[in-house]
Amino acid sequence: MDAHLNEPLTVFRRAFLDFNIDVIADVTDKMLAVGISTRQFLDTCTPLMGQIGEKFEKGEYFLPQLVMAGEMFKTASTRIKSAMPDDASGDPIAEIVLGTPRGDIHDLGKDIFAVLAEASGFAVHNLGVDVPPATFIERLSETGASILGLSSLLTTTFEAIEEIIRLLEQKGMRNNIHVILGGGATEQSLVEKLGVDSQTRDAYEGLNILKALTGDQAKGAVA
Amino acid sequence: MKSEKELYPDDTMTAQERFDAVVRLETPDRVPLSLMLYYYAPLHTGTPMSQYMTDPRAYRDVMHQVWEEIGPWDIYYNINPYSRLMYNYVMMMRELWPGIELEENAMAKIDEIQYMDTDDYDLAMKSYGLYADMIFRMRMLPRFSQEAEGKGLMKMAFTLFTHALRQCRFWRDDFKWWRKQGAVVQIGYQAEMPFDTFSQARNVINFSMDLFKQPEKIRQAADHLARNFADTAILSARLMGAPTVQCYCHRTSNSFISPQQFADLAFPSMEMIVNRIVDAGLTPILHCDGDWLRNLKTMRQLPAKKVIIQLDGLTDIFAAKQEIGDHMCIFGDVPAAKLATGTPSEVEEYCHRLIEEVGQDGGFILAGG
Repeated sequence: MDAHLNEPLTVFRRAFLDFNIDVIADVTDKMLAVGISTRQFLDTCTPLMGQIGEKFEKGEYFLPQLVMAGEMFKTASTRIKSAMPDDASGDPIAEIVLGTPRGDIHDLGKDIFAVLAEASGFAVHNLGVDVPPATFIERLSETGASILGLSSLLTTTFEAIEEIIRLLEQKGMRNNIHVILGGGATEQSLVEKLGVDSQTRDAYEGLNILKALTGDQAKGAVA
Repeated sequence: MKSEKELYPDDTMTAQERFDAVVRLETPDRVPLSLMLYYYAPLHTGTPMSQYMTDPRAYRDVMHQVWEEIGPWDIYYNINPYSRLMYNYVMMMRELWPGIELEENAMAKIDEIQYMDTDDYDLAMKSYGLYADMIFRMRMLPRFSQEAEGKGLMKMAFTLFTHALRQCRFWRDDFKWWRKQGAVVQIGYQAEMPFDTFSQARNVINFSMDLFKQPEKIRQAADHLARNFADTAILSARLMGAPTVQCYCHRTSNSFISPQQFADLAFPSMEMIVNRIVDAGLTPILHCDGDWLRNLKTMRQLPAKKVIIQLDGLTDIFAAKQEIGDHMCIFGDVPAAKLATGTPSEVEEYCHRLIEEVGQDGGFILAGG
């Protein structure tokens, strides 16, 4: 790391770990002023997300800390991307198509997962809520994503999830796509019953599934 | 007030005696059952969901038919709102309903919108003390309820008052039918707790930031609304003729906040509300969605053998039995996913485990999660 970056980066790290969200925009501008690159920013952020994620996993931190970390990351990365739109951040570790299937309009867990995954180097195509099964398939085809994340707080999505799996099979895509089911209405037995590959009830555990899938490439939030 | 009829030939208690016994953590003749089948019921009878949700008489008739065809069970889990405005008032959430915003047979859905700003904690605290909770709810309603759009405070108060009277008359009549069948009516009044209302109204992202930036203000505002919340609950439950208050705690679990935040910020208003309801001789049912395990130690400060804690499958109910089963009655928790996709034997096996382990020595109501 260049020496002139040390001070603003130290201030950024301290603010981030203190959850001092009010100063993040200013500190990010100072990093930009001394010439930080997108890659250097991500290499700074991901270990910080990792430290917070680790404490969440140990039960020392809870959802508010994860949310704050996600919001601070979003604030900083949006500023950096808008200041340097052409600066390469490198290829994503993997691409994920994500959404709440038809029958449910909850998006909180899904959106937290999206932010944490992006902060860890994944590209996330977030389709929103109440998404028809065919839309997931179209987006997977367009992007070539290898991971599909389905969020569900209500059992009313189960029919749509089964339809998604059927469509993946019909299109010959099933073997190339890892399907993760997440949310409060889910339990492990649904892996077999709905034909998905993994299941989780919390966003951070979802990241650990990504880590297992992508091996050592995943960094930061994926502790 | 009391249901007197025994439901099954081997019963030695009425459903009411059984309910009262488990609240006191005594051992009943058998574990009582509360069926949360309000979304299943119209499917069972072939009634359009839109009609069921918008016509209270249709809802009543559907539930009566379900009782006749698959009953009896012990506790009638009554939701049955007289109007969507009443539902919005107590739950403080924007709801999309079948036949209005959704297709005819869709389930009602919560539309999570932010309708409260950071300044509104002050607004809550400035609401006149004796009616603080009611005033705050009425001020917020036009911001999220489709039924309240464009209504001023006075018009809102009048509309709510007339709907509340109709709800009261309707419920009292219906409850007589249920008691005649031998069932206990579960809910005399129900409402989202103040702390949880703030979390819903701000949305989780903003509320999480508020927890860092102005935690004390959140606590003070929730405390300020607590007394009138409890007084409204007590009066309403008495008018409805059912001595129970269902307090919704959708956002207070460790899935949303830390045990310390619960103890410091949410529990003070919960304790005020529960104590007031208990002192009035009513039973609070704390509807605790999410994982509550690490909050239970704090909840031991609530009155013993007077409170029901309702769990939804995300708290380890067997661990909860060890943690608080000697202090409050546990209600739950066959998970929705198990009921939707499990085989009958899987569901039966889980119910047996609940009855044998959580129901051991009493203090347990079997129900969905």
